[in-house]
Amino acid sequence: MKRLVILLACVLASFGVFGEQIVIKYAHWNALPEDPFNYVKAFETLYPQYKIDFTLIAEAEYPATLRQMAATDTLPDVLCLWEHDIVEFAKAGYVIPLDKYLSQSKFLNIDDFIPATKELMEMQGGLYGLPWCYATHVLYYNKDLFDKKGIPYPNENWTWDDFVKAARALTDPAAGIYGCDAIVFHGIWWDLIGTFGDPIIDEQGRFAIGGGAEKLLTELYQLTQEGVIAKPATLAMGAAAVDLFAAGKAAMKFDGSWMTTQYKDITAFAWDIAPTPTVDGRRYVHLHTGFFAINAKSKVKDAAWKFIEFCLSHFGQTLIVRGETIFSSRASLASHGEGIYGIKGPTNWAAVPVQVENGHWGYLLFPSTVWMDAVNDFYAVMLGNISPATAVCRAIDRAKDILGADKVAPYAPCP
Amino acid sequence: MLRTPHVLNHCSKYDGDEGLLKALIPCFWAASNVMPRRRANLIAYLFLLPWIIGLVAFVGGPIIAILPLSFTSWNLLGAPRWIGLRNYVEMFSGRGDFWPIVFNTLKYAIAGVFVSVIWSLFIALLLNRRVPGAGLAASLCFAPAVVPYIAMAFALQLLLRADLGVINYWLKCVGIQHPPDWLMDPDVVLWTLAAVTIYTYYTGQMMLIFDAALKQVPKELYEVASLDGASSLTIFRHITLPMISPILLFNVVIGFLNTLNMSFTIIYPLTAGGPGKASTVLSVDIYNNAFKGFRIGYACAEAVILFVLCALSTLFIFWLSKRRVYYEA
Repeated sequence: MKRLVILLACVLASFGVFGEQIVIKYAHWNALPEDPFNYVKAFETLYPQYKIDFTLIAEAEYPATLRQMAATDTLPDVLCLWEHDIVEFAKAGYVIPLDKYLSQSKFLNIDDFIPATKELMEMQGGLYGLPWCYATHVLYYNKDLFDKKGIPYPNENWTWDDFVKAARALTDPAAGIYGCDAIVFHGIWWDLIGTFGDPIIDEQGRFAIGGGAEKLLTELYQLTQEGVIAKPATLAMGAAAVDLFAAGKAAMKFDGSWMTTQYKDITAFAWDIAPTPTVDGRRYVHLHTGFFAINAKSKVKDAAWKFIEFCLSHFGQTLIVRGETIFSSRASLASHGEGIYGIKGPTNWAAVPVQVENGHWGYLLFPSTVWMDAVNDFYAVMLGNISPATAVCRAIDRAKDILGADKVAPYAPCP
Repeated sequence: MLRTPHVLNHCSKYDGDEGLLKALIPCFWAASNVMPRRRANLIAYLFLLPWIIGLVAFVGGPIIAILPLSFTSWNLLGAPRWIGLRNYVEMFSGRGDFWPIVFNTLKYAIAGVFVSVIWSLFIALLLNRRVPGAGLAASLCFAPAVVPYIAMAFALQLLLRADLGVINYWLKCVGIQHPPDWLMDPDVVLWTLAAVTIYTYYTGQMMLIFDAALKQVPKELYEVASLDGASSLTIFRHITLPMISPILLFNVVIGFLNTLNMSFTIIYPLTAGGPGKASTVLSVDIYNNAFKGFRIGYACAEAVILFVLCALSTLFIFWLSKRRVYYEA
């Protein structure tokens, strides 16, 4: 009798009598965080009727793999698309607008997301993705070196002139100390170009750099020649073999907020983070994210939204933010202040909201060939191989080749 | 599968514990003797089929697909859009970076082949001298060839860095106050990268091939030359070099193709093609255009050019070698 009951239960289960579990396919470039921050596991526990079929895609191949999936009709139900990809995927019809879902949500509101979300929505004419969280760039500084020279720490009122003045004062060639490390991460170039006045992407969605970039490159070249900023020595895509800041050989460094996870273990000196300096009152900072989006061909769109809604809920965001050591994309939650507190820093997490207020997707909305080659040329400027004007004009020319002349704002000095 | 009675009989002897492989070998032997030649060929092709399918699907197919795709604009989303010769016009117009990149590619390939062939021949010659510790030296020379390129790239970064690198530190110790910036000086970087090819796997292979070839040179020739009072250089030039010239040609051709094809794995992790475009070769640009910028059509057009470049260069080497290679050995 007992055997019969078990057999019956198995048969019934196989026919879905106990309720069919909906499988949601989800892909990401980050492995799922360990317990207790595994947000997928939390979702499945909270909503047992859903099962997440998770695919991990290597970060270096993430955009290419998603495109291959799109070409072979194997995209997951929930995608987390990078900035440029959300534009391209939406344009090609691979993802659906989320406006309807968002309007029906009981706790999600577009105005609660970081301002750049709305900016992109307006540019695209619809909401195709919601940022799962974000990272940004900050100014790292060595507190011990500042103290040694009696220079006040950087703060949100710092201007570019303050930065240059401090960098010069902190430079100590005899001790092998630079005022500032070379720019390693490509996004920093575009932050500073924006801060120096170029729109990067104008109201018409065109690639727009010019005078600001030229002025910045001229100033940075001068500082590099003086030995105030270290000469660049980077590897592919912004990885450097030697980190002068971490080695205590550079008093300051512009880099991504994610570097806090590496610097938290520094014991040799105290350090902290600050907002990047302004030029004529302007601060332009780039944000990095992935946008949760729903595959247009998904058969479980409502379930996919349910998962996205959970990930963006207070609970979901808490798990994601703590598990991935990044910041919540919802202003109401970001203000709670989450971040790493390492052995000797950082403490000034208030720097991050200041950056976000001036945050944009900027250069990330263009294909990487537009900005990657330009960054290579910026390094060449720092080494004195080409002039700032040549680098800017080459960047514009290349953008015209890749995007088309109508997608690039003219800059008079370039023929 | 094998229906000829003779063959079946022959095969049946090997049933049991002999194992499948042992059983198949005489089957083939029998098939080739007993079966009509066409049938035997068919069976052979059937066994080759998995490899042929792999070749067609993963090598031949993509190679063939590259040509039509080079006439399209495609970002992997949606269908490719036919644009005729526009990619080629853009490349050859001279407005972009195409010509400097082709020039870099040739410069790197020629310098890389020169360095790797000379180095591997030099080491092989040393090994054939039968000096004490030659075996150990050979192992040490071959060791870097088995280190993963990416790990090697990071190690080389540390060695070659202008301000903190070990090499420049040594140079400063011996009085060179302004040593070069090996990876960031556009006039130096390509030569540095070419020199790095001595650490590649194919240079290690070349060394072994040269070593084997040198051992095949008849000793009598060296003895006669020595009795005639020929110097080491004369012996090398008039005996060793002609006798190993077919192998030298083989290594030059293989080295050239390997340098072109493997350039990405060395250059990308070390310099990513920079500074500017100073060390960008076609393979790096193809990768950037295809998988970073998703300009698949343009990248395919570049791949076609790389293919043509490889083919023409190989033909040129063969043409050049007609009067220089000694096949009578």
